[in-house]
Amino acid sequence: MSHAWRPVFVVLAAIVFFLVARVILVPSDFSAKNGDYKYQWHRLSSEQYWKDFPVKHKGMEFCGMCHVPILEKLKGGGHQNVQCENCHAMFNPEKKSHPIDLKEISGYLLNIGTDRSRELCKRCHAELPYRPSTYTDPKKGTVKFKMIDPDKHNPSMECAMCHDVHSAGFKTAAK
Amino acid sequence: MNLSRRELLKMGLVAVCGTVIPLSALEILTPEAAASLIHPFSKKKRWAFVVDTTKCVGCGMCAKACKLENEVPFDTEVQRTWIERYVQLKDGKVIIDSPQGARYGYTKNDPQGKEIKDSEVAKGLFVPKLCNQCEKPSCVQVCPVGATYKTEDGVVLVDRGWCIGCGYCITNCPYFARFFHPITNTADKCTFCYHRITKGLNTACVDSCAFGARKCGLINDPESEVFKILSTERVSVLKPEYGNEPHVFYIGLDHIVR
Repeated sequence: MSHAWRPVFVVLAAIVFFLVARVILVPSDFSAKNGDYKYQWHRLSSEQYWKDFPVKHKGMEFCGMCHVPILEKLKGGGHQNVQCENCHAMFNPEKKSHPIDLKEISGYLLNIGTDRSRELCKRCHAELPYRPSTYTDPKKGTVKFKMIDPDKHNPSMECAMCHDVHSAGFKTAAK
Repeated sequence: MNLSRRELLKMGLVAVCGTVIPLSALEILTPEAAASLIHPFSKKKRWAFVVDTTKCVGCGMCAKACKLENEVPFDTEVQRTWIERYVQLKDGKVIIDSPQGARYGYTKNDPQGKEIKDSEVAKGLFVPKLCNQCEKPSCVQVCPVGATYKTEDGVVLVDRGWCIGCGYCITNCPYFARFFHPITNTADKCTFCYHRITKGLNTACVDSCAFGARKCGLINDPESEVFKILSTERVSVLKPEYGNEPHVFYIGLDHIVR
């Protein structure tokens, strides 16, 4: 055979080596769904990873299993669309103050505590010129949104001194 | 055979018409087109999102809930969803900011940290942003290892075990929706809370919004709120000029929004 064939064998060997290496290195579940190599070429197991990601926010129905009177109060007032976790989930784990370890008894993963700072209420109720003055309630329709100027409205006092944050009304004198 | 000039023209015209009609009738009918004759709209399962900026008050509860739900470290300057504030002053100047992704909400009229008088403001609005879960995601195209992909129902995800952290996708997203996750050391992005929507739950940001400014649902499901809004109201998308076909639709955008 002519020596001119030698480079051809080298190329063929390289191709075989590449294909073998590819079979070994590329995970077996790598594939393109619907033949879409442009956007859907991936390890199929990754989809399951994201589906199995733990759910953390469980909503007011979960909290209401124990806190029945508070949930009732909440549902009858202006804060009925505000989830418990909006105010009670602590981003600072040290502020966790729930008396029962929720993680142990029900696998609940958020840190629950109480934040009494004015900053929390101001997130919605501080008056800004471009903050919508009304909001749409699924039952009542268009409702006026209560906003205050935090510098003039009893500065340095905790909102919860006068306001019942669960019923979104005032605290009764009896209490 | 003798042909008159008149007959030649007549027969010629018939021949031309005869060849043209079958060609148009032979247009390939795709399965989707055939299905559309039976169903008035596509049955393809596809997640989409609607943001009503007229309802957003900028409380940032969505940004907080998202960070806690998806284990994005709270005190780092990266976020899967954030709220931008657009303020136009009476002299025409536009100020845009999003301090800490608005995870602590907007409590003062202080765009970019400088307090301004209420009387100086001509108009302003809050614009919640998140990954647009594009039909043609430019972030997926540039991934050199196949670590990011679009699922069959239209959500773009990152394979954390396969991502090499090169950052091409982060720089290629026209919406700046991607970031480098400081703990996993991979690219990260909004997943539409894939672990929640696939279980029939709402996304964490939708659940935490007390004002109903956010909605997530199947775009072709006549029962979903997203379908109802998209088929009856005026919506727009961000940066359509990029051709990504984004699937986060906005109500009440303004020309100052980018």
